[in-house]
Amino acid sequence: MPHLRMTGRGLWITALIVPPLAFVAVFIVYPIFSAFAYAFFDWQGLRRGEFVGFDNFFTVLFVEPYRSWTINAFSHNIVVFFALMVLQNGLGFILAYALWRELPGARFHRIAVFLPVVLSTIIVAYLFKLFLHPLFGVVNVSLKGIGLGWLAQPWLGQSDTALWSLIAAQSWHMVGFPTLVFLAGMQRIPGEILDAVRMETESEWVKISKVVWPLVAPSATIVFTLLFVGAFNWFELPYIMAGLDGSPFGSTDVLGLYFYRTAFGNVSSGQQDFGLGSALAVLIFVFIAVIAGIITVRLRAREIQL
Amino acid sequence: MAQLSLRGIKKRFRNTEVLHGIDLEIGDREFVVFVGPSGCGKSTLLRLIAGLDPMTDGEFLLNGQRMNEVPPSRRGIAMVFQSYALYPHMDVYENMAFGARLMGLDKAEVERRIAETTRMLRLEELLQRKPRELSGGQRQRVAIGRALVRKPEVFLLDEPLSNLDAALRSEVRLEIARLHHDIGGTMIYVTHDQVEAMTLADKIVVMNAGRIEQVGSPRELYETPANTFVATFIGSPRMTLLDVTRKDERLAMADGGGGVAVGALPAGSAFRLGLRSDAVRLAKGQGEGFAGQVVYTEYLGDNAYVYVRLADGTLLAARTAPNDSFAPDETVTVTVNPASVHFFSAEDGRRLTPQAAE
Repeated sequence: MPHLRMTGRGLWITALIVPPLAFVAVFIVYPIFSAFAYAFFDWQGLRRGEFVGFDNFFTVLFVEPYRSWTINAFSHNIVVFFALMVLQNGLGFILAYALWRELPGARFHRIAVFLPVVLSTIIVAYLFKLFLHPLFGVVNVSLKGIGLGWLAQPWLGQSDTALWSLIAAQSWHMVGFPTLVFLAGMQRIPGEILDAVRMETESEWVKISKVVWPLVAPSATIVFTLLFVGAFNWFELPYIMAGLDGSPFGSTDVLGLYFYRTAFGNVSSGQQDFGLGSALAVLIFVFIAVIAGIITVRLRAREIQL
Repeated sequence: MAQLSLRGIKKRFRNTEVLHGIDLEIGDREFVVFVGPSGCGKSTLLRLIAGLDPMTDGEFLLNGQRMNEVPPSRRGIAMVFQSYALYPHMDVYENMAFGARLMGLDKAEVERRIAETTRMLRLEELLQRKPRELSGGQRQRVAIGRALVRKPEVFLLDEPLSNLDAALRSEVRLEIARLHHDIGGTMIYVTHDQVEAMTLADKIVVMNAGRIEQVGSPRELYETPANTFVATFIGSPRMTLLDVTRKDERLAMADGGGGVAVGALPAGSAFRLGLRSDAVRLAKGQGEGFAGQVVYTEYLGDNAYVYVRLADGTLLAARTAPNDSFAPDETVTVTVNPASVHFFSAEDGRRLTPQAAE
């Protein structure tokens, strides 16, 4: 009875697809749309007030102190994006090249580089918080141990090192991802093409910049896009390592923390404003969607078939 | 000028030695073909000459200068790869300009060389195309062009025709021969196809299991093969090898059956007789000679090859006139032309020279 079997199959598929779809609809699609709606209302706590049009957007962008906070958080996101672009993707490319060339110990390092990626962000963040503890953190203890005690710092406690400490922790955590993607891209390059380059130059720089990189660049599209989205959605790691205020003194504040604080309030200030929070969320969403779209389209255009 | 000397070259991959001491001299402007079955080490040897892999032992000299430590790009050697290995992200022009620019040539010189090469290889229409937009034969020409632009002293070609279809293959083969004639560089060409080797080479290097079996002109290899390996590898259809014993002035099959008269014989009483298809004649029915049964006939138009199973099980190929018809299972008698037989040692397969009859 093929007809009945088909129905059985269809039932199975429906049963497997509907729950996750419903989950996505309720917890992701609905909040996105409701955030769009909330952003246009005035809110008193959880009670919805009147329709205010674009007032909330105007407030977070142009009215003090929100304006300074927005600029402060946004500029940190930009720093994070470019820093991770260099540290995480740049280092990832170099690591991938080293692994690909099968330097001694490549097998071990392949695992060592990728292992942190599968660790939970929570664990990584707590670990690094401990590592960077000013008195008994492993970083400062080691520095003192090798006679570089003058370099020891309260890494997370001062404005000019805090954000960079977070960036370093994030890079360590995720560098394995671009490495893996780049390595896969490099392994697709036929061996004879590399031999052909070696017949023409012995400069590693020329090999990398003129041949390896252009051929690996297609796989960079996805890496760049995800890094961009990740950098502007950054939340867990700064939340755990620096707290909801982006301490010290907002020097690690990023859009994710700022939005959360504004919408839901925090320990130090009981205020919460759904309207302003939603407006921020919508702005972040639109910004990420537009730029990520542009990156994808622009980079796709250069993809090469081997 | 390009004079290559290979001295005692060995190559080991981990514990497997794939080249057991290669000694070879290659002269200026020579067209040398390395030929041998798959896995004989011919491509490995080419890569050692290119410098793409380090040699385990031995020395490679180019014009008297030791090249072992010189990186591939500084050896004055260009290589055409089996898969062509064109840079997929560059168009034809860029593919050719890339190496020339890296040599430090100025812009005008690069332009001039590309224009010259483009004309020689008829690539004018293709300069702006990417490799994926080219046919196999066109890619092949671009790969050769990329090598030519660098004006190397030595060209290495690694099975350059193996990815082309049969019709194109003979065409490109001719083109390569013409190219060698025109530009005159030293060319080293690797193939497993003995027809390519015979038609292109000034000098053929026959390799087997990491050793050189024989070096010589196509004619020398065909007429005086040094051993049974070379004898059966060069020439088509394969030379038939037959174990025979001496019975007075005649040769009988090892089991004593049959017998043919040949002229001068080498010393000793047992050897392997090498018979090319044109050294034997077939006659229908029983008679004086080796008896055998027809297995099948290959008709080629201008002639035909008849394969005959001899009494000891050897399959013998004989060239016949196209209109001679031999039916399968028909009994035939094989006689030989004494002037065109080869003798090899029964023990190690080396060539034996017949001695004039006393």
